[in-house]
Amino acid sequence: MSERSEHEHLFREAMRRELAQGRIDRREFLSRSLVAGLGAAGVGAVAKSGVQPAFAADSRPLTPTFYQWIQDLHPAIPEVNKRFPGINYQIAPTEGFGIERFVAEAKNKESTWDVYVGQTPFVEMSAFIKAGVIEPWDNYIPKEVIDDIIPSIRAECTVDGKLYSWPFLLDVIGSAWHSGITSKAGVPDTAPATWDDFLAGAKTIVDKKAAPWGATFDSHGWRSLVPVTHSMSTKVYTPDGLFEFTSEPAIEALKLMKEIMAYANPDILLEGATDAGVNGTPDEVAFAAQRVGLYFKYFNAPLRMAASWDDPKLLHLGPLPKFKNGEGSTVFWTTGCALFKYGQNKEKAAEYIKALTYDPQIWKDSIVGTPGVHPGQLPPYKSIYAAWDAKKPDWMPPFVALVRSQLDRAKAIDNNLFGLQQFVIGKPIWETYLKGQEPDPKVAMTKVQEAVQAEIKKG
Amino acid sequence: MAQAILDSETDLSARAGRDPVEHMRRGLGDWLFLAPALIFFVGYQVWPIVRVVWLSFTNFQFLSSKPAQWVGFANYAQGLQDPLMWASLGRAALFTAMFLPGTIILPLLLAILVDRVANQRLATLYRVILLIPAVIPSTLVFVLWKWMYNYQSGPINHLLVNTFGLFTLQNAPQWLGGTALTLPAIAIMEVWWGLGYHTIFFIAGLAAIPKELPDAARIDGAGEWQVFWHVTRPQLAPIMMILIVLRFGSAMAVIDEYLIFGGFNRASPTYTWTMFMYDQAFHTGLWRQGYAAAIGMIGATAMMFVMAGLIWIFRPKG
Amino acid sequence: MTLEADRADIHSLRDEAASSAGSVALRHVVINLFNLIILLPLAWVLLMSVKTLPEAMRGDFWPKRFDFSHYGFVFRHIETLPINLFNSIYVTAATVLLTTFCAVLAGYALVHIKPIGAGLVVTALLVSLYFPVRVVSIISIYQIQHWLGLINHTSGLILPYITLQLAISILIMRSMFQLVPHEMFESAKIDGAGHWRALWEVGLPMVRNGLVVIFIVNFVAAWGEYLFCLTTIDDEARRTMPVVLAAAQAGQGQWAWPNLAAVYVIVVTPGVIAFTFAQRLFFKGLIEGALKG
Repeated sequence: MSERSEHEHLFREAMRRELAQGRIDRREFLSRSLVAGLGAAGVGAVAKSGVQPAFAADSRPLTPTFYQWIQDLHPAIPEVNKRFPGINYQIAPTEGFGIERFVAEAKNKESTWDVYVGQTPFVEMSAFIKAGVIEPWDNYIPKEVIDDIIPSIRAECTVDGKLYSWPFLLDVIGSAWHSGITSKAGVPDTAPATWDDFLAGAKTIVDKKAAPWGATFDSHGWRSLVPVTHSMSTKVYTPDGLFEFTSEPAIEALKLMKEIMAYANPDILLEGATDAGVNGTPDEVAFAAQRVGLYFKYFNAPLRMAASWDDPKLLHLGPLPKFKNGEGSTVFWTTGCALFKYGQNKEKAAEYIKALTYDPQIWKDSIVGTPGVHPGQLPPYKSIYAAWDAKKPDWMPPFVALVRSQLDRAKAIDNNLFGLQQFVIGKPIWETYLKGQEPDPKVAMTKVQEAVQAEIKKG
Repeated sequence: MAQAILDSETDLSARAGRDPVEHMRRGLGDWLFLAPALIFFVGYQVWPIVRVVWLSFTNFQFLSSKPAQWVGFANYAQGLQDPLMWASLGRAALFTAMFLPGTIILPLLLAILVDRVANQRLATLYRVILLIPAVIPSTLVFVLWKWMYNYQSGPINHLLVNTFGLFTLQNAPQWLGGTALTLPAIAIMEVWWGLGYHTIFFIAGLAAIPKELPDAARIDGAGEWQVFWHVTRPQLAPIMMILIVLRFGSAMAVIDEYLIFGGFNRASPTYTWTMFMYDQAFHTGLWRQGYAAAIGMIGATAMMFVMAGLIWIFRPKG
Repeated sequence: MTLEADRADIHSLRDEAASSAGSVALRHVVINLFNLIILLPLAWVLLMSVKTLPEAMRGDFWPKRFDFSHYGFVFRHIETLPINLFNSIYVTAATVLLTTFCAVLAGYALVHIKPIGAGLVVTALLVSLYFPVRVVSIISIYQIQHWLGLINHTSGLILPYITLQLAISILIMRSMFQLVPHEMFESAKIDGAGHWRALWEVGLPMVRNGLVVIFIVNFVAAWGEYLFCLTTIDDEARRTMPVVLAAAQAGQGQWAWPNLAAVYVIVVTPGVIAFTFAQRLFFKGLIEGALKG
């Protein structure tokens, strides 16, 4: 090698190392390469020929966009943002999980934002993938991070072998109870181990008049039908990834829901007050008004509702009950991060998301709560739980360890374009059984299946 | 003196018979006045409507990368045969029927009463109070009424259960969330919200009545009711017609309220044709916007037929 | 004759008919009943904004304990609220003014100038009222805004907002202008006035009632508009108030009721105060219009 080309070679190697270590980004690499290769004279020529604009591609600051409620629930996020100076942090234009804007931009092959934090795999991810809005993280996420994700969560976020969602906030369906009401009724102050215990507890509460209602749940399918089904068995999905409504566990789950309803608030089946009926549901109001003893939902709900109690410390959490001979599983979903295909700053985005998802302050605040805010959402990484196991922090409540053990058995809802819709379409139909209009649960579920298939056929 | 909103444009053709060249020169200048309005109208309303009409003849799916293909009337056929189309149109009509009377009768009554108030300060105060709801943005109005109607903690049920003891916590009315009471509940909210707004419409109409007419009738010995029926009402006819036209259209096409109060539950009485359209266009599957456009066109056409009928029935005579 | 005397005249004539004190009292009772129906829910919200969280869920009207912390909560959580309020005011004012301008001109033209094709325009306006354009056209409008380079610019919202109620505004002004006899404009033209002066000096004063109506119609539509702003504006600081408020109630971070009630009071009070002052202008026009009518 000539002296000059060896010089160039060393220069390039040094730059490559810097790039790999994340000390310079792609744009720097390219521009320095060009300058190094051409020498000073060449730069003038480059500038004149207008090649410069090519480097402008990565010239905007990192622009993530967050779903508003995530920021509300996790006040430590701005602290993480401070470690990325110049970041253009935005609140996403989504309402009721609408994604029209993102799709419209992708069709124009552009994207105002680089990464979206707020994607739930079984809800929007399939639509995002089909519309070509997002791309997998595999080229950007460090290998040790991917391996650190709890396997069932990694499965949730993976489509065709590629990771399309970088998981961030984990919501698990578990049980919660108002220990003031349970002790008043003489019901044991532990998470009910089986559904029989759950029902017995609810009945006692109503009989002893400790509260108007014994138990409640959110009547949307993915928050009630699915977790109860999973507590019996998780093998209830078709090869396409649709929920098998007519399977034995699903029918048993539906029957159990009807039994619980005998002790629940009368408006339990009504749609909620916000987000097209999905949030602000009657079960939440009942729990917040301290009128019901037992509850099961993702932990964020009872934690938020208990803030309206006279004594929020009376709230206790635990894992979901199981059927006597069931698998004892539950359902979870993550709120994750999606990488826009036509966005920029992809390496930077990966750095940012890594910092965000591993931030210890975010997790402490989430589990313990901060004044006025208590999300109860958990991290997706094995290493974080292992660290807590090894040296338990003094602020750690008992439910996290219990839930962690259930996480190894838990399963997410399979990904499918109709992942959420199948439950929306099915709800009024399976409710004919719950309301007593249809005496046979199997008939109701068969109709659900047919309705979902009919909708899918329309394309 | 007062003319209907759709008077026949017969004199237009009469004028066109005159000197054509002069008319064309004048014509271009005349259009200047219409120009600003037309630019906005064409750009933001005509173009989207044209696009929707075009879409309704294709199988366009927004999330799919396949280009739209012409399918003729297939979407229309599918829509017309879909029982959900008719059920959802029926629900919108039901809501409109519940809502319209409250929108005409109550504000008319209030307008007449407020108009007669002698004390100017009081009249002003009344008008301001009545218009307060109009100043509240829609999202907040919905929030307020969602609280009011809340089954467990809302003041309406609190009054019914705790104060008046008419119901218990178990059997209190379930106002929202998809029950049969949902549409009336939303209608009541809408009437509350528009009370001042519609009253002002009628006050404006009443103020335009020349005072000689009712005064002459009174001097002739007519009682208040007769004055109203024979003098006031016909004078108010154009304003009333505008209000009916405006409110019929908006009541049938309500969507924000249903998105917020009812959601995508297809058995809910709030799942009207606009929800059906939105569901197909932005929510289900690959976002079948071609089919959604056809649903929209079917609904709009149905509305126009009814409206034409209403205008014909209520056309001012003489 | 002074305005006051005129007013007194009109009302004494009208009051003569409703002679008995009883019917006057009844009138006020009925009106106040409606006032109560309007004010009670708002009073409930005001009280809710100072209740403690547990009490808010219990449904009693009057709080046993007062908790004023919720207002601070709002400002801590929505830092951009004052800016959003300003954006709303700015966009609404601009929309109302521009729409009124377009509608007055168009209404006048359709009645008193009557160019060829005016009938077609009226029919098109009527027909457009029945299309739920807003819903399915959200994507078309996004594309237009994008093409105009107005995405994420607050002022850009004014353009689609004008069209929200343009058709009905034109139709209202048209029927108002139909009440003005054509001869009045003819005589103005004989005196040498062109269309503009005729409209400004003769037409406008006569259709003041219509102006009041379309002011209100457009104000309400622009003030509460939400979908277009949500879809085309990205930065929190550039959004209008309804969008920012809706986010406070969405998703899993939904606020507790007292906090939302505090937002209510913060947002509605300035509007009511401003409106109280502004309406004096409007209703003056109504009375004067009645005199000339």
